[in-house]
Amino acid sequence: MAENPDNKIDEEIERLTGMVRDEAILAQQDRIQKEVEDSNALVSERLPLLILKEEYQSDPIYSKKIEDMNASFPYIRKTRGDGNCFFRAFGFAYMEKLLSDKAELHRFKEIIEKSKDTLISLGCPSFTLMDFHDTFMEVVNQLEEKPSLSELVATYCDQGMSDYLVVYLRLLTSLELQKEAEFYQNFVEGNRTVKEFCSQEVEPMYKESDHIHIIALTSYLGVGVRVVYLDRGENQKVNHHDFPEGMPPQIALLYRPGHYDVLYGD
Amino acid sequence: MSGPEGTCFEGGVFPAKIIFPTDYPLTPPKMKFTCEMFHPNIYSDGRVCISILHAPGDDPMGYESSAERWSPVQSVEKILLSVVSMLAEPNAESGANVDASKMWRDERELFNRRAKEIVKKSLGLDKTDTS
Repeated sequence: MAENPDNKIDEEIERLTGMVRDEAILAQQDRIQKEVEDSNALVSERLPLLILKEEYQSDPIYSKKIEDMNASFPYIRKTRGDGNCFFRAFGFAYMEKLLSDKAELHRFKEIIEKSKDTLISLGCPSFTLMDFHDTFMEVVNQLEEKPSLSELVATYCDQGMSDYLVVYLRLLTSLELQKEAEFYQNFVEGNRTVKEFCSQEVEPMYKESDHIHIIALTSYLGVGVRVVYLDRGENQKVNHHDFPEGMPPQIALLYRPGHYDVLYGD
Repeated sequence: MSGPEGTCFEGGVFPAKIIFPTDYPLTPPKMKFTCEMFHPNIYSDGRVCISILHAPGDDPMGYESSAERWSPVQSVEKILLSVVSMLAEPNAESGANVDASKMWRDERELFNRRAKEIVKKSLGLDKTDTS
């Protein structure tokens, strides 16, 4: 079988430039990520909401809406935009609430304790799961034994601990999606099964959350969340939506396209 | 790693390194054979190119969307199983080694002979190797 040597060289060049291109793209993504890391804590201190106006000085729509929001939610806690922000914002806001709500904490603990066996029954490898489950439980137990907001902030700002908590919240989301696969299948985009969706969009770190993630996690835990939307829509007031539908919200999150932060009413 | 039985890599013992990143298991490790290899999914420098060693979105070879990807609950055991099955059944579509891919597709006999040579070298039985 005679090969045309020119074709061969072209192929080789394409293969090498392709590799260089891919590596350049990955390096660029790493640089951007590094910049985000350097300028934002994983979870910030509680800040006055109106500091957001500085980011949108020349933008009348956003400025108006921030003022509108300030009437109901005068404080914000920012999270780092690394694709995990929904899980980190949700996890922090809810655990902060658990610091002063023993009954809710008790209910939550029971759900988390049971979740391990359910995950194993769904095919999650128990050996690797244990690590994430135990770390999560450790933090939950800490809320009961030594409730301290500054400790909770420190835990969520510690990259290792914080990311382990995110992994477990992702697993809980995946659990609910798989357990109620028949229902959620209707909302999965593309020609994918729920299981495939979970392994591509839910369980891996840094994958951004969509409504389906939020509905699944809040439904599984039975925790109402109000999401307030700050976007380019023309009306002067901000819209909000409660998840799961009909459940009174315990915590509030701010959504700006592509990002979630925590909001406080008082 | 032993070449899987009943395949052209049968009998070989292939040394490899697994390199763990600092944020393992959030991101996947890398695997690299340290001996000579000739396989569609192994780069000429020994790096292994299979979907489970990549998170979704990090996609240099355009894996199929159904292919198994890295997630924090995946394990080293799962990687090794995937690599064994990769040795048994190369994926000629996502060729990290284009020459090996072509040969696997078009000249299977020649590929099998090349693999046998690799097996012998891995066992130190290659008489022509004077280095």
